[in-house]
Amino acid sequence: MPKTWATIRTEKKKRQNFKEELPMEMNTESAGERKLQCSDVTKCFELLESILDGDMTQGGKAIMDDKLAKCQPCFEHYHLEQAIREVLKTKCTKQVVPSELSNSIRQKIQDIK
Amino acid sequence: MLRYNLDQSLLLKLMSEVQRRKYSQEEKNTIFDGEFMPHIDSMYNFAYRLTFDEDDAKDLVQDTYLKAYRFINSFEQGTNAKAWLFRILKNSFINEYRKKSKQPTKVDYQEVETYYNSDDVDYQSTTDLRAESVKDMLGDEISNALNSLAVDFRTVIILCDLEGFTYEEMAKILDIPIGTVRSRLHRARNLLKDKLRGYAQNMGYNTDGEEEEAEF
Repeated sequence: MPKTWATIRTEKKKRQNFKEELPMEMNTESAGERKLQCSDVTKCFELLESILDGDMTQGGKAIMDDKLAKCQPCFEHYHLEQAIREVLKTKCTKQVVPSELSNSIRQKIQDIK
Repeated sequence: MLRYNLDQSLLLKLMSEVQRRKYSQEEKNTIFDGEFMPHIDSMYNFAYRLTFDEDDAKDLVQDTYLKAYRFINSFEQGTNAKAWLFRILKNSFINEYRKKSKQPTKVDYQEVETYYNSDDVDYQSTTDLRAESVKDMLGDEISNALNSLAVDFRTVIILCDLEGFTYEEMAKILDIPIGTVRSRLHRARNLLKDKLRGYAQNMGYNTDGEEEEAEF
């Protein structure tokens, strides 16, 4: 059965709840304790990016914690990707909506009623 | 031609995919004011980032709201109004605004062709751009980098990072499979990183991942 907007919204809420549980400061261990080569960059980075986008089920968290603790390329990739998402969200200022737009829309709706 | 057909099929879908309702005038007003109008800020921001023109953005948002009102019976009250509205706006843009846009989007066709050929994505470690440099950048630099991307790449980043839509919602808004959402988003961010790397180098941020030797 195709998913409706309503089911998607419920699932999104679940995912957002999960996202909030993620500890943002992952770990502060030194790079020396992590391996410097990632054996499967494609799979790891895809997973990390899905988690950052809030599109990962519960199972992903444990795997991610493990990666970030043990693998330097994963650790760096995660933090770069996280920084990019943060600056996009916080620094791309919203355009100010022209004040007359709402009224103009309401007026047009009145006309077609 | 293809784009035009998409719009027709969108309207057909809007009319048929959901059970057809018949809202009273009062219910229509409640939905419109309570569920549609609160998204006007996000809608305008999206429209502006698509068109780069205040008047075009206003027209686009207005058109979208008029369409939303006209097809309000195919909207299920209490469901995801924002995604529903964004889908209409995106399709309106493709059909009516893209061609006449005062600032036509620059498209590197080879880039697009290469990128669109499959959902396979090359994931690579980026050691020459640091999270710290990105965090230090100015809003204008971030915004310009985003605005410089081809419209399809810009769109997925706006939907995901500025508006917080899920992959699944984006797939519905853009009428593309989730796998394509994922890969397009990844490519969009890679292109964005290229731009940011350029800014970082110009600004003298440390981009090589190593502490620079002090020069005397």
